[in-house]
Amino acid sequence: MIKAQNVVKIFSGRGITVRAVDGVSTEVKKGEVIVIIGPSGSGKSTFLRCLNGLETFDEGHIIIDGVDLADRKTDINKVRAEVGMVFQQFNLFPHKTVLENLTLAQLVVRKRKRPAAEDKARQLLKKVGIPEKENEYPSRLSGGQQQRVAIARALAMDPKIMLFDEPTSALDPEMVGEVLDVMKQLAKEGMTMAVVTHEMGFAREVCERVLFMDQGKIVEEGTPEHFFKNPTEERTKLFLSQVL
Amino acid sequence: MIKSKNQLPWMLLLAAILIGLAAGTYGAVKKIDYSWRWHRVPQYFAYHGEDAQKIPFDGRVESITKKGGSAKVTLVSEDKTTKVVVVDANSLRVSQGEDLFQGDIVGFVRAWRPGPLMVGLWTTMWLSGISSVLALFIGLITGLCRVSKNFTLRWLATIYVEFIRGTPLLVQIFIAYFFVGTVFNLDRNVAGLGALSIFAGAYVAEMVRAGIQAIPPGQMEAARSLGMTIFQAMRYIILPQAFKKILPPLAGQFISLIKDSSLVSVIAITDLTKSGREIITSTFATFEVWLTVAAMYLVVTSLLSQVVFYLERRMAVSD
Repeated sequence: MIKAQNVVKIFSGRGITVRAVDGVSTEVKKGEVIVIIGPSGSGKSTFLRCLNGLETFDEGHIIIDGVDLADRKTDINKVRAEVGMVFQQFNLFPHKTVLENLTLAQLVVRKRKRPAAEDKARQLLKKVGIPEKENEYPSRLSGGQQQRVAIARALAMDPKIMLFDEPTSALDPEMVGEVLDVMKQLAKEGMTMAVVTHEMGFAREVCERVLFMDQGKIVEEGTPEHFFKNPTEERTKLFLSQVL
Repeated sequence: MIKSKNQLPWMLLLAAILIGLAAGTYGAVKKIDYSWRWHRVPQYFAYHGEDAQKIPFDGRVESITKKGGSAKVTLVSEDKTTKVVVVDANSLRVSQGEDLFQGDIVGFVRAWRPGPLMVGLWTTMWLSGISSVLALFIGLITGLCRVSKNFTLRWLATIYVEFIRGTPLLVQIFIAYFFVGTVFNLDRNVAGLGALSIFAGAYVAEMVRAGIQAIPPGQMEAARSLGMTIFQAMRYIILPQAFKKILPPLAGQFISLIKDSSLVSVIAITDLTKSGREIITSTFATFEVWLTVAAMYLVVTSLLSQVVFYLERRMAVSD
């Protein structure tokens, strides 16, 4: 479903160049859930953002459902419609109600009819557990509720892949659970997911594979059992000793 | 310490200062021996005009029927075509059976007409109204160009904005009328309108740019990640939020435009200011007319501020 081959992303400015993503190759199969962890500045978010073209990359190939993002002829908007993304800061549209947040892209990108879009939106709000908030504006919602709306908004497009960029990092601790529950359910339903997170519990419980990134490279990758119990690389051990 | 809620002393002080200023002004004017003629001003707002009703052919007065204050006069020409003219009864100049020649006055119709001040105000309003709309349009396009990734668009917009903001409006109006207007044979109204729109457009463009840049980048990313094109994202996500942010300065700009439009009087467009000048040449009531003109601008701009205030409150629901 996702295939990354030797992806390189270079940030340059003021005479300094940083290889934020430095030759990352990996593959995510349909229905697979991967978690990317690593210290801040390791390039994990940048790599995730490359997967739906929010970030351009300088070398390599990213193939999403058979479409190569490195190809100039690729219509990135078509790819993005199939790849949902959830952000650390939620990024809900503050001038639109919850329902409008969920229906807008369905109407203008998917060209669905309004009743169908609203049905879909209500169904998803029920799924994420806040059906009663459809007419509220995002600012009236708690962080956890906002993030669940953001997940529902991405799901409304019927994506084939969901990307999560530190979805719980901006939340108060007591709200992390409600968002993780939604993500766990999604994983159970067979959604292909790539998650950048610091929630080791989620990584251990839900995912099939953990990628540990540092300085733009994948240092180690493996099943959660292998990863948390017998990490082979020194840097992985050091990182795990700091976060666990 | 408990904060005192009593505002009364301050109100009294304010009143005292204002009265002092008024008295001072009054005293100063007294000294130069200016004779006020306020009674001459109202007629320039509206006057009771008389329209002469004339017979369009050689003919005869067939009949006169009076009803209330008006008289219905039926005129018949030599070849038997009839025409009915309604005039004020007390201004009737003809009697039944009288022979008339073409152009003779049958009577008058009296009605209230807007005076030069109102006509000038109307000119000011439509000038600034239309140029506001055009400026919004120009500013939107230019503002979008200013944040565009395209080098050419960005620099074209920058040059335009810098040129306009770096030169006086008065000079721009002269250029628009005497240079561009001469080359392209433009009407003075078109030149004035164009100069005002292009002037305000540059300022609106800067506000649009600032407004767009004030929206967190996450909004654009969220919109794009849902598959929206950059235009859809702008239209549905960025611009509505940016517009809300820039509404206060935008309104300020349009209010400024009403005031700045007074400068078009230099190319002989009869706006409120030019009307004022014309009235002064015939009345010499300089003080009264300029004070009245100032008050009229003030009324219009205050009303507009109120409308914007109302809009701002209505748009605040999603905060």
